Formats: sequence, C-alpha cells, structure tokens
Amino acid sequence: MVMLENRDTWYTYFKDNWLAHYEATGETNFKIYQHPKNEHAPSGKGVTLSQSKLILITSAGGYLKNSQTPFDAPNPLGDYSLRTFPTSTPFSEIDFAHDHYDHAAVNTDPQVLLPLRHLEALVTEGIIGALHDMVISYSGYLPIATRTVDELYPEVLKLVNESGAQAALLVPS
Amino acid sequence: MNGIATTTTSWNAGVSRLVNPPRLVITKLARGATLGKPHDSDQQRRVLLATLNRLNDDAPLDHLILDEALDP
Repeated sequence: MVMLENRDTWYTYFKDNWLAHYEATGETNFKIYQHPKNEHAPSGKGVTLSQSKLILITSAGGYLKNSQTPFDAPNPLGDYSLRTFPTSTPFSEIDFAHDHYDHAAVNTDPQVLLPLRHLEALVTEGIIGALHDMVISYSGYLPIATRTVDELYPEVLKLVNESGAQAALLVPS
Repeated sequence: MNGIATTTTSWNAGVSRLVNPPRLVITKLARGATLGKPHDSDQQRRVLLATLNRLNDDAPLDHLILDEALDP
C-alpha cells in the first residue's frame, strides 16, 4: 500500500517552496504548501464491528500529563513521535499538546476529540465487539509528509499490527 | 494498514479528500471539535457511529457527507 503517492514530486515541491521559505525567513507559509494527494484509496475487506476489536488513533496531541513528555507542539517543523496510554485513563490525567487548533472545545469536553467514554459505552451496548486497551496518540501538525510516512506511520503500524485489532478509528483534530 | 479495516471522520473536506482514505465521513464541524459540540453527546455519538458503521463495508467507499455542524 502506498501512503504517499508521487512522493518525490511532493518532496521536491515542498523543499523548494515551503521549506525554502521557512529556512530563509523562519516563517511557515501555508499559502505555498501543497497538501499530499493520493489518486487511489486503499482497498480492503470490511469487518463485523460487533465482533471486532477496535483500536483508537488520535492526532489531537493527547498525552499523560503526569508521566509523559508533551509533544513538541511549538516546533514549526512538527513532532513525529507518538505516545500511548490506556483507554481507561480518566480525562483528568490527559492533556493535549497541539498548537494548531483552539483547545476551548477539548478543554470543555475531551470527547469532542478523544471519545473514550463513548467507545466504552458502545462496547457495553454490543455495537463494538471490544476496544483495545491502548490509545495511539500523536500531534497532527506534520508538515513534512515524507517524515510522517518514514518515521511516524511505521511506529503506528507496528503498534496496530501487534494489537490484534481488526479495525482502527482515526479521529483527527 | 494491511488487513485492518480503517475509518476516519473529518471537518476538513478539502484536505481529507486529497489524502483519499478508504473510509471517510465528512462533516461541517470545526477544527478542534471533530466529533461535535462540547457536551452534545447525541451529536458526538451520531458522528462516531456513522464513522464506525463504515467499517462493516468493504473499502474503498464513497465519502459519506453528514449534515452535522457546530451551529444549528
């Protein structure tokens, strides 16, 4: 499966425009940023959700505020690392390191981005077979798509493949 | 994710369509409130269930557009 089609073309344009401007000025200018474009969507079999284990992936920048290092949210080039934490974590123990969305909603009600209690309820109701006990979390300001594909995604894929989950839900911010 | 069914939802139709994920639900919600208004559990569940239900079908699927927004 190709996660970034036309990778070389994308990177050349990125390097010659957005990155060159950043290196020359220290400013990020998304008017000259080209979002990655894929012509083909991956194909794959569906699952019976009520009989499947689901794993949650979030790009809202969630982390355990008392025991984990926050994502490097102010970094203009992004932070391509990830954190994991238990799905049973109380929201009072989670903070969000991501400088590219307004935190008013998530600070009021974390379920707008991190639906842990909703997913637990859907398991209880039999709509989801099971919820994997680990959340995969990263901070979704990732302007260098090639680093996302080379550094972040392999780590996400490794965790998902090891999880035994049959399905994954990505909630972006 | 070979062999694992994936699904996502987004308020950002333009960028998300470019990425072309196998299962995508598009809303009119907003950055920082992907699943709905704070404390509006009914709306959050509607968006979540619509997104999860896509997992039952083989991909790729046409993108599903939901009439969900922060303002009525």
